[in-house]
Amino acid sequence: MEQVLWFGWFRADIISEYAVLFWRGLQMTITVTLICIVQGTALGLAIGLARVAEARHSPARQMCKYLLQWPSAVYVSFFRGTPLFVQILLIHFAVLPLFINPTDGLLISGEVARDLKQNYGAFLSGVVALTLNSGAYISEIFRAGIQSIDKGQVEASRSLGMSFPRTMYHIVLPQAFRRMLPPLGNNAISLLKDSSLISAIGLAELAYAARTVAGAYSRYWEPYLTISLMYWVLTLGLAYGVKRLEVRYGRGDSR
Amino acid sequence: MNFLHKTAIVAGTLLLALGSVQAQNRELVVGSSATYRPFAYENPNKEIVGYDVDIIKAVAQKAGLQIKIVNTPWTGIFAALNNGDVDLVISGVTINDKRKQSYDFTTPYFEARQLIAVSRDSSVKNLKDLAGKKIGVVNGSTGDDIASREFGKTNPDIRRFESTPVVISELVNTGLDAAIGDNGVIAFRVQEHKQLKTVSDPSFPKEFFGIVVKQGNKALLDKLNTGLAAVKADGSYAQIYKKWFNADAPVLPAQ
Amino acid sequence: MDEVIRVKGLTKQFGRLAVLRGIDCAIKASEVVCVIGPSGSGKSTFLRCLNGLEDASGGEVLVHGVSVHEPKTDVDALRSEIGMVFQRFNLFPHKTVLENITLAPSKVRGLTGEQARQRARELLEKVGLLDKIDAYPNQLSGGQQQRVAIARALAMQPRIMLFDEPTSALDPEMVGEVLAVMQSLAEEGMTMVVVTHEMGFARQVADRVLFIDEGLVVEEGTPAAIFDTPQEERTRKFLSKVL
Repeated sequence: MEQVLWFGWFRADIISEYAVLFWRGLQMTITVTLICIVQGTALGLAIGLARVAEARHSPARQMCKYLLQWPSAVYVSFFRGTPLFVQILLIHFAVLPLFINPTDGLLISGEVARDLKQNYGAFLSGVVALTLNSGAYISEIFRAGIQSIDKGQVEASRSLGMSFPRTMYHIVLPQAFRRMLPPLGNNAISLLKDSSLISAIGLAELAYAARTVAGAYSRYWEPYLTISLMYWVLTLGLAYGVKRLEVRYGRGDSR
Repeated sequence: MNFLHKTAIVAGTLLLALGSVQAQNRELVVGSSATYRPFAYENPNKEIVGYDVDIIKAVAQKAGLQIKIVNTPWTGIFAALNNGDVDLVISGVTINDKRKQSYDFTTPYFEARQLIAVSRDSSVKNLKDLAGKKIGVVNGSTGDDIASREFGKTNPDIRRFESTPVVISELVNTGLDAAIGDNGVIAFRVQEHKQLKTVSDPSFPKEFFGIVVKQGNKALLDKLNTGLAAVKADGSYAQIYKKWFNADAPVLPAQ
Repeated sequence: MDEVIRVKGLTKQFGRLAVLRGIDCAIKASEVVCVIGPSGSGKSTFLRCLNGLEDASGGEVLVHGVSVHEPKTDVDALRSEIGMVFQRFNLFPHKTVLENITLAPSKVRGLTGEQARQRARELLEKVGLLDKIDAYPNQLSGGQQQRVAIARALAMQPRIMLFDEPTSALDPEMVGEVLAVMQSLAEEGMTMVVVTHEMGFARQVADRVLFIDEGLVVEEGTPAAIFDTPQEERTRKFLSKVL
């Protein structure tokens, strides 16, 4: 193949040779990131609420403590306390095969399982791992955000006869959300870059494309510089989106 | 000059002389990715052992070299060679033209062929039968090369992983239909998993493993080649081969 | 006149600290009761027990015959009949004045948008802030915020209004405008329980004054009785410091 040199050393030809991989990889990275941001936020909200759930009287009081607070605390501790890389491998090689298996899957088995595993196995494992992982971190953001809202707000709302769910929905969460936007934005950006770890189980995303080129030519500058630039642009895009959200929700600055 | 000065100068000169002698006999760092059974891997006592290890030890002894073997991840092993972190690499590296562009190889020390691993009930008989199937390879390996050339290097059915154990795990998990890898490794792994079998393809060329040095390091290269020739000549090579593969050592070409 | 609030042997512990040590009192419809006492005496805690913002460690609080602290009680329904005004106003900063006032009526009472708006306008007129209807709380002065808070509480058409030191966080020049609103409310016949340090207001507007100290009602009576002829030594001591 004709060598194409940029700046006298950058072999642009090896990138263009694998251009399809980079393009597909970009799409996959964006897809995985967006799906996990949405799911992670939903999961994080649910877990965050579970961690602050309280009731005044039994049996609701005990139920809140043992069915909501404890399990969610354990979940958060585990997923924040173990490396994401390990979680991805565990879920791909140990957990998912339990549920999706041609011979004895708990959820899906037979030929459907085989098809699913081969075409979407890495994708599923990666998305599940990343969602569970970011859900844990996001739940902490929600919990801190909710708890940072002055108790007086809740008291005023409850005194008006508004129920706890209504208070959450109309008073606490909207105020908390604006405070949570910066850390949520950071989390989204981390997620984008963490998605590169899923290349280890063979998902064809951006980092996988770079690894392939590096593997084929034993050259590292070209592929890794390329994806660095691509990740950077994506990060800038995400950051811009978050900034827009912050402006939109900024009216009526809270004290 | 007083007595103290004279002593200092003499001592300094002696040290310098000693130092240069040391430099000539300094310990060479050998890079090897010790996750490549049976060529280089860590035994339960955390020592690096394997066919490659025995060969390089024998060569070093014959060439009068001190060596220290350092476990280096495959992904960065060539970079380490280039920037001087390691002086030479012996890690089941196949000699090919692409690599010769950037690095120098000794004469061969092992004859390698590629082998296909599939599940025991697979109907695959040769490479062409793998069309349309999900094939796992180690990123940048000879197996990767073969699959890429046959089915297209950007073909999404080719799944690239960072090490053979992961490829085999994925195959066992039915995430893949087949795996292509070096005969030594594949045969070794298939032994461990009764539900797999190996398939050979006549089109698979014979290839050779060589010891890698930084491009232009003629001094070291010559020493290694001399040592290697001696190892072949006195029967050590045949002995080591028998130990690891329980078979007669093939005659290796001199280039 | 019937009893609206009845408190029987109310006690409250915060951990080892006994804040309320047995309060008994009864409040009648349209009565204005002012609660005075030194800080830390438990008067705010007492007030917050009346609408269930604080749990009771012992004793009972009955509002319109319904026990506030019993698990079976629908506390939200109860609270919609009781309005509360806080020392720190607690307006919702992310909502306009209008939205602050219409939120609960529309969500809890199911008022339509137009009905809620109409009620809000009337109430803002009453507290003299109709022109601020679309402002955000952070654009208002303290006194204005508190008046909006009162309008917000009144929007639920409660039968009882509780005031927790409503003017303590205000600059002196704004205290008057808030007390004026409270006075007109009293004159309209609202049942009010007011924890306050404004002795002038208590003397002028209250039907009854409760002096609470160290978790107990030390003395109670008409404003004249309490302020002019206090019977207890502790009452005298307290009054000499504040009057």
